[in-house]
Amino acid sequence: MIAQAILSLVLSGMLIYAWAERRRSPAVAFLSVAASLAGLYFVWFPSQSTRVAELVGIGRGVDLILYLWVCISLIVLLNLHLKLRIQEEMITKLARTIALANVVRPGRTGALVFVEPRAGSMQPPAVDGAHISSDARASPISSNSP
Amino acid sequence: MRGPESSSVWVVCPAFNEATAIGGVLSDLSRTDYHVVVVDDCSCDATRDIATELGATVISHPINLGQGAALKTGIGYALSQGAAYIVTFDADGQHRVGDIPRLLDALDHSRADFALGSRFLTPSPIVPIGRRLLLKAATLFTVAMTGLRLTDTHDGLRAFTRRGASVFHLRQNRMAHASEILGQIARSGLRYVEVPVTIEYTPYTMAKGQRAGDLIMVLLDLFAQRLYR
Repeated sequence: MIAQAILSLVLSGMLIYAWAERRRSPAVAFLSVAASLAGLYFVWFPSQSTRVAELVGIGRGVDLILYLWVCISLIVLLNLHLKLRIQEEMITKLARTIALANVVRPGRTGALVFVEPRAGSMQPPAVDGAHISSDARASPISSNSP
Repeated sequence: MRGPESSSVWVVCPAFNEATAIGGVLSDLSRTDYHVVVVDDCSCDATRDIATELGATVISHPINLGQGAALKTGIGYALSQGAAYIVTFDADGQHRVGDIPRLLDALDHSRADFALGSRFLTPSPIVPIGRRLLLKAATLFTVAMTGLRLTDTHDGLRAFTRRGASVFHLRQNRMAHASEILGQIARSGLRYVEVPVTIEYTPYTMAKGQRAGDLIMVLLDLFAQRLYR
């Protein structure tokens, strides 16, 4: 009974969370709701899982749940991986935009020239502020992105 | 026929912690009329200051994104500045500035949009044995994936025409971009040509170069990339 109570509590929590998240990603929320409902059902009627397992050709209900769990974990992993990847691309774009807004150029000619530090200061050449906006507009990000 | 106007050529140098080598590279490049843009990938050392002092255009990534991302930033910037030809040139001193005109001439002569350096096309290439095996494996793999007929797929010295450079949509931030560039060259259907170049193997460039472990990461990256297509 203790295990059943704990599992029920956890699964109910997941059910509530999934329901609350339904606006953000309906598909994930729906699947989570379905999974937690199925979980609750099997927690209270363990013999039912064995019947379902036999129906699809798996020996025990525990095995069925184990296999399902592995599959779900893999899907979640892939989903997270894709999300991370998208985030990485967004960060890359952001960083590139910042970089292109702060290009440090040599002289106006564009040829390689030695930049003399201003008299009395050892500051590196200042960012070419006059070009910040034009650089941002001419940035390749918008044009290159698919 | 002479090669393209030097002033229409932009040399893109991705650089990450290259303070010891980039000075030499940039002073070699400063003897030419090429525009030089250094993309500093958030180095912790003086790479950016040295490049600025030596008069290159310097773009600094605020965070470290990887060589592929640095190349994309630099190529995109050069295109936005009206570059007619773009050369990618490693900042660690492994390439020779003298090879650049040969790549550009090759673009002109064979009416190609991509000229790719190959260290294995020189008559007697001096490539350390470990590096040679690693590169051969990488080349086999990339050739199998892209169908391009190349002898060296991981040479950082390349030249593109404006049209060629415009086909790139690089998404691989890290080292897998070498294969990604080739994949996009293959898909563009534009003409490419391989040009023999010399790589200087010094203890410094060897230490900075790719290791077997990196190759495994490149493979993983590329397989992951397949998942998104």
